[in-house]
Amino acid sequence: MEATDNDLVERVRAGDDDAFRLLVERHSRSIYRSAYRITGNAADADDVVQETFLRSYRAMGSFDARASFTTWLHRIAINCSLDLIDSRKRREHRFNDVQDLSVLASTDASPDRLALGSEMQTAIAAAMAQLTGNERTAFVLRHFEGMPLEEIGQILGTRLNATKNTVFRAVRKLRQQLQPFTGSLI
Amino acid sequence: MNTHLSHDELVLAYYDEPGLGTRREHLAACAECRAELARLALVLDQVTPIDAPEPDDGYEARVWDRVSWRLRGERKRVASTLSPTLTRWIAIAAMVVIAFTGGLLMNRRNNQPVQIANVQQPSKIVEAAAASTQQQRDRILLVVVSDHFDESERMLLEITNLTPKDGVDVSTEQKRAEELLVSNRLYRRTALDRGEDRVATLLDELEPVLMQIAHGPTQMTPEELRRVQKRVETKELVFKLRVLRADVRATSAPHLQEPNI
Repeated sequence: MEATDNDLVERVRAGDDDAFRLLVERHSRSIYRSAYRITGNAADADDVVQETFLRSYRAMGSFDARASFTTWLHRIAINCSLDLIDSRKRREHRFNDVQDLSVLASTDASPDRLALGSEMQTAIAAAMAQLTGNERTAFVLRHFEGMPLEEIGQILGTRLNATKNTVFRAVRKLRQQLQPFTGSLI
Repeated sequence: MNTHLSHDELVLAYYDEPGLGTRREHLAACAECRAELARLALVLDQVTPIDAPEPDDGYEARVWDRVSWRLRGERKRVASTLSPTLTRWIAIAAMVVIAFTGGLLMNRRNNQPVQIANVQQPSKIVEAAAASTQQQRDRILLVVVSDHFDESERMLLEITNLTPKDGVDVSTEQKRAEELLVSNRLYRRTALDRGEDRVATLLDELEPVLMQIAHGPTQMTPEELRRVQKRVETKELVFKLRVLRADVRATSAPHLQEPNI
């Protein structure tokens, strides 16, 4: 029978590196996907994956075995993504490669999307890139992951009202940027 | 409340979040608010989940390589930060043990030849006792070092007997090399202090090889393994360890077996 995450965590705590390797192999793909949604590019998502596992290893002693390891790990990944975005902002290296960010928009060929074409996709990518780290993360978690606002607040370390306001601001900014493109659909 | 829903309330409604209360009733009854919600939905519905490009098959292995490499680096840094303090404490503890054991042995000796002591000069008794204590300490050191040589020899033999192939797991040898490395440094320093030049020289030769194994990858490529094996063989470490261990045992063992020295 395959060992559960919590079994592996116990083994890691006892100094078993092989158990940690199994956890890394088990979760790296899903962490990569989450990180990609927040950071918006593959290289950053890769960095987040590495940093997430390093932080989780260091914090393994504080992991509560009654909690879900996956949720705990994803929270670390989200925080790593936020830190990465923040540090980039501090260095004033903003997302300015719209071409790279165009992947933020899905390529699903719905009729509306086809009608809007690549112009809309680029606009979505650019609009997402204008959000702050917190806005982007809160929006991704609410909009893509379907996470309740209260839980998002726990991850971001903000009160419910502040979390709501972050999502509201993100939606307002996106709407402002995208309204001209959706006008033709009304 | 009859006023229309604000932008923020519409967002809550779109995501079906709690907290709207009776405003939901207004929304249900108000065509203007429903139209505004539809306009908001039109925008937000366009922002569909981001499809991350799927990493290739070797992704997990690559992540582990990088993570384990960084963890090893961190451990090395921690070890190098701790080692001076840790080593100092180990050295102090070792010296206390040696002094204590030496003291016990000297005490036994002093209790036995009472008649001889009565006829000898007091200064000569002190000199003889000091020399004897020193000898005891040296012998204890040699016995300990002999065990260390034995352990090192066995570990190196296991390494040299491994067949070079892809992903040879040397994690067990690596752990032992890490432990041996700590004691190797301590013994080398002590041997130098005591003027045990042959022992110190061999420990000095052994140290970089232990370091290479301890700090190397857990899974060695054939090339990496061959490199370590070649180093062990070139320096004839296994042979030297065997010879010196035999010498050390011959020097130390008979004396230690004597009940009253």
